[in-house]
Amino acid sequence: MTTCTGCSLLCEDIELVLKTGAISEAKNLCRKGQGHFQALFTERTKPMIDGKEVTLDQAIAKAAEILKNARTPLLYGWSNSTLEAQTVGINLAKKIGAFIDDTSSFCEGLLMERILNGKIPTCTLDDVRNFADTSVFWGTDPSNSHPRHLSRFSYYPRGEKRQKSYEEERTCVVVDVRKSATAHLCSNYYFRVPPDGDAEFLESILTVLDGKIPKTGDKKRLIELGTILKKTEFGVIFPGPGMIYSMQDKMDLFEELVARLNEITTFKVIPMVGHYNMRGFNQLMLGQTGFINSVSFRGGAAGAATTHGPEQGVALAAKSSDAALIIGSDPLSALPFGTARALAHIPLIAIDPRRSLTTDAAQVVIPSALSGLEAGGTALRMDGTRISFEPITESERLSDEQILTRIMEAI
Amino acid sequence: MSVELKIVCFEDIFQYESGEKSRFSDEYRQLSAVILLDKQDMASLGVKDGDKVLVENEISKIVVAAKTTDDEPHAGLAFMINSVWSNQLLRDDLCNASVPRFKGITARVAPSQEEVTQISEIVQRLRA
Repeated sequence: MTTCTGCSLLCEDIELVLKTGAISEAKNLCRKGQGHFQALFTERTKPMIDGKEVTLDQAIAKAAEILKNARTPLLYGWSNSTLEAQTVGINLAKKIGAFIDDTSSFCEGLLMERILNGKIPTCTLDDVRNFADTSVFWGTDPSNSHPRHLSRFSYYPRGEKRQKSYEEERTCVVVDVRKSATAHLCSNYYFRVPPDGDAEFLESILTVLDGKIPKTGDKKRLIELGTILKKTEFGVIFPGPGMIYSMQDKMDLFEELVARLNEITTFKVIPMVGHYNMRGFNQLMLGQTGFINSVSFRGGAAGAATTHGPEQGVALAAKSSDAALIIGSDPLSALPFGTARALAHIPLIAIDPRRSLTTDAAQVVIPSALSGLEAGGTALRMDGTRISFEPITESERLSDEQILTRIMEAI
Repeated sequence: MSVELKIVCFEDIFQYESGEKSRFSDEYRQLSAVILLDKQDMASLGVKDGDKVLVENEISKIVVAAKTTDDEPHAGLAFMINSVWSNQLLRDDLCNASVPRFKGITARVAPSQEEVTQISEIVQRLRA
């Protein structure tokens, strides 16, 4: 039995039989998790410097040298690392006076900050399974992004107060710009919004909740949605990147909606975090700096002048850094062209279990163990629940935590 | 003939699984380098499923395969799966909330006789 680190559901009931070079049997593993664990056997990284294979010691020494000599280093990634590795990473950033940022700065961070600061009420996924009668998936498609979300927590399972079948006891609402797989499942309550139209849609819901007729949109359907929300006993909204990219700086409006709903009934919010431990990084950073991401420790640990803002986020920091350590992430593939190009033009250190565009462009590649299979640790599920896991197979590769500790020691 | 479109990106589990195994495989390219178009836009462009189209904006350009969506009508709006192909077209300036405009790509789409952009070509562009 192991924990899947393929997404932020951190499913703990995975049964695997490993044979040489393949997973021969798997139970409870979704397609996404299958791909994640199959990567154990494909395109693994090796210690490299300037495209040439070296020893692990040489790669770590070179990484330490690059970071030590950098004036404005950036440490980026972190959402696919354990809490233990993230802790060492934050200490490393303090020691060398680096920028540090994770993937949340360009996705769920805007919402997570409000959740962690207590501005928006939240709950656990176990609460969702036990009590929720309405789930609202807004700008997210869990059937593709978190394949077991509906079956383990939000729609299909029976829970403490939801003993009858999902057709009788649970309502699933989807708000999205396209008719996604999840929208097909919940087609009765699929609400299509135009691109960048989420704020207007949200204002219409607020109007309906106030007992007025909305000025825009399908009035009949909006009133129907208002009725569903008002009759809900325990509702949960799951906002995804689609909603956040559309709302942008209007997240106050979302906060207002949640507050208004809670005047009528009970509504909680759980962000649809993608990577398995993004929330862990955000929570650690908040505890240590007061900010969830995008921080600079320039000045070093002694005189650390902690600053936070867009300039400290990866999108801009990539252009002002003279070296970067990338851990468990492939920004050359996942970030906008200009940001990826900026990173490709500075010395990169890539710590990753497998090959990516970023490891190919890196001056130094350090292979790492795959969390959940080859390395244990602790992580925070998307709802903040702490999950610990042990490795299920032996590996010669070091964990992220071990690699970062050795780099720290060498600086 | 070309059309100006807004492109919204989304996640697909089959493409994601493929990318987890390898970002450099033919399968990953075939699943990623695709633009989903409305029937009306397909007709305006004179292309059918599998035909190649050039998607170009002020940031970059890529050649991908066109495919008709089975979604409700959405002329003027196209969809692409999140990948290094779609990100080639993405501006890196930040919006008011300091996030990149991942849902706000605008691009001109036209039929193309060229082959789908290879990942090796994208890597060269990033390093150029």
